[in-house]
Amino acid sequence: MAQTRQDVVSVEGLVKRFGRSRALDGLDLHVRPGEVHGFLGPNGSGKSTTLRALLGLLRPDSGRASVFGLDPWRDAETIHRRLAYVPGDVALWPHLTGGEIVDLLLRMRGSTPGARRDELVERFQLDPGKRARAYSKGNRQKVALVAAFAGPSELLVLDEPTSGLDPLMEDVFNQCVAEHKAAGATVLLSSHILGEVERLADRVTIIRDGRTVETGTLEELRHLRRTRIRAVVAREADGLAEVPGVYDLQVDGRPGAHTVSCSIEPDSLEAVLESLTRAGVRTLTSAPPTLEELFLDVYRDPTPGRLR
Amino acid sequence: MRSRLGGTALLLVQAMLRDRWLLAGWGLVLVAVTYASAAATPTLYPRAADRVAAAQAIDASPAVVALYGPILDVHSEGELAMTKLTVLYAVFVALLVLVVVRRHTRSEEENGCAELAGGTAVGRGAPLAAALALGATTATVLGLLAAAADVAGSLPVAGSLAFGASWTGIGLVAAGLTALACQLSASTRTCGAVASSAIGLLFLVRAVGDVSVHWLSWLSPWGWSTRLRAWSDPRWWVLLLYAGSALVLTALAVALRARRDLGAGLVAPRPGPARGASRQRSALALALRLHRTALGGWTAGALVGGVLLGSVVPGIGSFLGGSAGRAMVVRLGGRGALEDSLVAAELSIAAVVVTCFAVTVMTRAANDERSGRTEAVLATSTSRLRVLGATAAVALAGASWLLLVTGSAMAVGIVLAGRSPHVLGRVLSATVVQLPAVWLVAALAVAAYSLRPTWAPAGWVLLVGFVTLGQLGELLDLPSWVVGVSPYVHVPRLPTEALDPAPLAVLTVAAVAVGAAACLRFSVRDVG
Repeated sequence: MAQTRQDVVSVEGLVKRFGRSRALDGLDLHVRPGEVHGFLGPNGSGKSTTLRALLGLLRPDSGRASVFGLDPWRDAETIHRRLAYVPGDVALWPHLTGGEIVDLLLRMRGSTPGARRDELVERFQLDPGKRARAYSKGNRQKVALVAAFAGPSELLVLDEPTSGLDPLMEDVFNQCVAEHKAAGATVLLSSHILGEVERLADRVTIIRDGRTVETGTLEELRHLRRTRIRAVVAREADGLAEVPGVYDLQVDGRPGAHTVSCSIEPDSLEAVLESLTRAGVRTLTSAPPTLEELFLDVYRDPTPGRLR
Repeated sequence: MRSRLGGTALLLVQAMLRDRWLLAGWGLVLVAVTYASAAATPTLYPRAADRVAAAQAIDASPAVVALYGPILDVHSEGELAMTKLTVLYAVFVALLVLVVVRRHTRSEEENGCAELAGGTAVGRGAPLAAALALGATTATVLGLLAAAADVAGSLPVAGSLAFGASWTGIGLVAAGLTALACQLSASTRTCGAVASSAIGLLFLVRAVGDVSVHWLSWLSPWGWSTRLRAWSDPRWWVLLLYAGSALVLTALAVALRARRDLGAGLVAPRPGPARGASRQRSALALALRLHRTALGGWTAGALVGGVLLGSVVPGIGSFLGGSAGRAMVVRLGGRGALEDSLVAAELSIAAVVVTCFAVTVMTRAANDERSGRTEAVLATSTSRLRVLGATAAVALAGASWLLLVTGSAMAVGIVLAGRSPHVLGRVLSATVVQLPAVWLVAALAVAAYSLRPTWAPAGWVLLVGFVTLGQLGELLDLPSWVVGVSPYVHVPRLPTEALDPAPLAVLTVAAVAVGAAACLRFSVRDVG
């Protein structure tokens, strides 16, 4: 079973141009079997383009992409039989009902609508007899989600799947992802909702301007990022400002209890702690960067991959 | 009232900017054809006697009268020069107005843009007012330009103005009609279907009226256009008919708009099946499901139109009164030959009309792709070839079906009007020979979509271009290879002419080749 150890999705140096603009500019992405992979990036960074290239809807100009070890352009139908896709902008046939569309998409993927489909319609509180024209954005999203979750699939490709869902439905969505993961499915989840990615994803890839900026587990990414430190010290912490890798230093000086807060790079932690110890540390809290901080950090950084 | 119409001017300017190429292109073609027709007439018919003979020949042929309307004053140069433009080409004026009015009313409501605009300080009535203003402006400018083109083609000024006014009048009625139709359903397609069916029906009523029951023509704006007598002693009061009906239609549209919510139709959508039928499992089933309502409507239209067109055929002999008419019957080979030529002429029009169905299927496919629905289908295990194949099959088979329905209904109409049932075989074979031309034009529409979804409207451009070539060819005495670009001119005109299989084989092979090229292209291009 060497097949199972192979990446489910593997993308290397993918380039896609639309006219003069480069939507993808050497993008890398590796999704391992059985993981939930968060795919993050600002608007227009190329997330949807990547997913559509993985579905064989777009032909990349250069680079290599494979899904289940197959070429998405050549073997699209074979690949699609094994995956389910929720597009970023769910468009439905206005005259068909939600129930008809769910069943149609399921059958076109080669599976049969059964008890699982009815259960999901129930859980997502979808009215399947309504014409798609009358659905709100959230309800259109539910149609696509029910169709995706109701069939067996080895890979779920989800492009901002919870946009328009209310918090209760987001919860149902989270459960569904967990159930599919437990059943051995791999999930590629493009999202802007960082809490969702933090909760669900085993690993994340952050892209910007069509290029991969960071990839790894959240733990790994956090190690690369600054830690936020807040300490109360007895005396003024001499030389703290001079330690390389210390940012946003703020000192609130009261006699006998200076409050120090700053962000520090991983390599500077030792020097900072020494300095604080010398100053007589009384309390110390350190918070790893949240995904949001990581995210903002990467987005604002003009040179991808550089540590700060 | 002011606040309800606030922002109308802004929306109108915006709409004109968005539509500038459409308006300029469509308008330019119509005006150019007008000028060409006006300027060519003295060359084609140098002497007054030639013109009278030509006008009498037109009046003598019910097929031509059904299509272009009668020439009321055979001595009028202007009426002869504008015979195709007064009635038939006024349909294209109406269609242009239909397109622009619908684009800025129901389409905007369906795609959500109207909601975005409605959230600003734009008044509730402003979008409809702006669309109507655009339609009225289009009609007026087109009428003035057509009049100017006639004057430039050295036709009399008063007649030119009256003729231009008839185009404006048709445009105004079309604007009111479309505005009304756009209030009825939440679906842009349904609204368009209602409006264009109404235009088709009015044209048909006039055709029947002009050929047999004359008073019927007074019920249709297209009938008014000839009865205006633009070129000899115009009945100016006829213009009030256009204006009056346009006003009534507009008032109805405004009243309906005031009673309904944004984005809603008059009838609330009924709930549908909560489950998909188990046969709904393929791209073909989906394509059939999507187009079955439209196909049903077209089929009903083909049945009614076919029976009507057929029923006028046996009456053709009695229609030709006078010695000139009888002489013409003899010259054309007797009464039977005359009926045959009418059948051939009607079927060649039917072939063009059913091709429109195929083109709408392909432009809708482009719309599905732009919206992301094609992507949803391709993300299942459905191959690209199946997706394109299903759509193209519905387009081609649908058009073929409609042509056969029209032909059969015509035969029924002919039999109902008193001819022997033996006519069925003759009419059906005359119908079947039209199919290859329909296939080729439909295949070209498929290819236009396959090249690029945004190019799907090229199907319309090609269709209109082929029809125009056929129309202008004899008028401008174009070389035969230019006219021959149009697939329709190669169809042998059964039952008058003999069956020549060679052009039919060439057309069929060309259709297959174009279709294959379209499939190749669609399998390698980006989708979405």
